[in-house]
Amino acid sequence: MAAPMAISPTRMELIKLRKRISLAQRGHDLLTEKMDALVIEFFEILKRVRRARADALTQLATAHRALSICLALVGTIETRQASIEARREIQLEASTRHVMGIETPALRIEGAERRVLERGYGIHFTSSALDDAAREFEKALGLLVELAELEESMRAIARELEKTKRRANALEYIIIPRLKATIKFIMMRLDEMERENFSRLKRIKAMLGAGA
Amino acid sequence: MNAERWIERELARLNAHLPARRITLAEALRSERPHVVGRDGSIHEFDRGELELLANMLPEGEWNGLFLPILISFDPKLGRGTAKITGEMEVKVVGRLLGKKCAGEELLVYLPEITVLRKKLPTLTQYFFMV
Repeated sequence: MAAPMAISPTRMELIKLRKRISLAQRGHDLLTEKMDALVIEFFEILKRVRRARADALTQLATAHRALSICLALVGTIETRQASIEARREIQLEASTRHVMGIETPALRIEGAERRVLERGYGIHFTSSALDDAAREFEKALGLLVELAELEESMRAIARELEKTKRRANALEYIIIPRLKATIKFIMMRLDEMERENFSRLKRIKAMLGAGA
Repeated sequence: MNAERWIERELARLNAHLPARRITLAEALRSERPHVVGRDGSIHEFDRGELELLANMLPEGEWNGLFLPILISFDPKLGRGTAKITGEMEVKVVGRLLGKKCAGEELLVYLPEITVLRKKLPTLTQYFFMV
């Protein structure tokens, strides 16, 4: 049972508290609706994360297979040399997207999949197996960026869901019960005062009657 | 902080992401980068694929009657898990997407339908909480 607030038990306070409880109730209802909407968003993004993770893992497995073939055909030293020569700069555009006011990242990778000549390593001493491996890893990179964006969005939504749940719980289990207890206390006090007044008047009347 | 002020601030925060001005489907299709600016200053971009999906559903003459984003309005009076879509064109396209019979300017949608709607139009729909 929540403890009532320390306020003077007057009719004015009772009116104020009734207004406050209706506001709190409305706030609780809306936060619950928000929680439902967030749950929809969370599960939708979770499905997308699962799909993106499976795609990225499949692609990484393909890329590693291609790399193994490349290492066997081209040789470890030559492959390592080519990887040192390769250009490492990739354009990544990072902005934000808003889902119900929650800031989520939006990442767009520009030209992850490059042509052979754009990669930067020499083509005279390498084979097409290296190009295949590089292409597969570039594809994997695009998928990993997509996965990173989705996972971070999912985390942001989960954090907001947790916050909303905590606020809704604070209203449901602390603020509203406390307001209800205070209203109950004021009503009891007012009733008590009314009874006191009534018995006082009765007593005065009896005394006046006895005096006459 | 005073509980009352805290609740009021929370309620004000609920709709901060909504656009200050909605744009029509025709405007969005004409724009190079279709987007709206939220009341909190955030930019909400529309997906061109989704815009084309709606453009194919409506005759060109009706593109000016559909305002974007479509608002999924939650009102506690409707009960938990129920929302409504308002606006003639909005009701028409949402009804068609969900396979619901509808007429008039208001359509009630329920949580499973909202899930479907959000899946089909993630950037063209936004939640609105009736405070």
